[in-house]
Amino acid sequence: MSPGLLAAVAVGTGLMMLAAAVAALLVKKLISAIIIVGFVSLSASVLFFLMNAPDVAITEASIGAAASTVIFLWGRGRIGGEE
Amino acid sequence: MIRDITGMVIVLALAAVLITAMPRQEIPEELQTVGLHYAENGVAETGSVNLVTAVVVAYRGLDTLGEVVVLFSASTAVVLILSLLPVGGKASAASPVVQLTARVMPGAIALFGVYVITHGHLSPGGGFPGGAVVASAFLLVLLGSSSLPGTSRMLTAVESLAGLSFGLLGFWGIYSLGQFLNNNVIPGGTPGQVISAGIIPFISLAIGAKVASELSGVFASYRNKGGKA
Repeated sequence: MSPGLLAAVAVGTGLMMLAAAVAALLVKKLISAIIIVGFVSLSASVLFFLMNAPDVAITEASIGAAASTVIFLWGRGRIGGEE
Repeated sequence: MIRDITGMVIVLALAAVLITAMPRQEIPEELQTVGLHYAENGVAETGSVNLVTAVVVAYRGLDTLGEVVVLFSASTAVVLILSLLPVGGKASAASPVVQLTARVMPGAIALFGVYVITHGHLSPGGGFPGGAVVASAFLLVLLGSSSLPGTSRMLTAVESLAGLSFGLLGFWGIYSLGQFLNNNVIPGGTPGQVISAGIIPFISLAIGAKVASELSGVFASYRNKGGKA
């Protein structure tokens, strides 16, 4: 990838993360917020990969995107509520 | 509402400071010599082709030992607190999609994790990322299973053995070369081969086993005490 394209993709991913993070605050349903936060983590993982840190990207994808999303889901199941 | 707006203003102000300050930063050249040394002599000194792993495991091995201790304390605290809660999780069947995925994927994911652990000195990764990947395979198994995992003595045993072997590998350095965690107690070998780079692959293995078993234990206790996903 050329440096210009790389920068464009990175900035685009960053803006997408920002929009998703704001959306996670605003959505009414708790489960939607959890999934959106998982998406923010996954985008962060893509961003780490674009910035030549594949090892950090692997960790972020498995811990940030997979594990914390599932743990939030289980926690939501325990408190058993919406919003 | 006022709190939200105040928070937002503070965050935006901090972002503005970061964006305007970072390009102005000047790093004096004499501070970059350590990095330069790693880049120029790293492969020759450690035998590890992946310089990130060379720094994390060999040059800064003591810091990594500290990280392992931090992760151990954190996971112990989580499991301890969760063990005080009454059982909240209900055994319930996952959706067919999740069940099928949980039957097909974990093997491949775990294999990739083991690859990342054992090739930490050759390709991006190492003990921490690889261990996290193996643990996420276990997490997928938990998601697809309809019964609660309970507790496992084997996870605890693997975790303790892995931590112990990391420490013992460190002391081996003291006995044979007079330095804790000295990487050269085993000959470096040919850079680029799986068995090379001194004790780095063995420490990666210990870290990987420890991280995988620790995180799996944490996931299992969350599953035991959490609700239906």
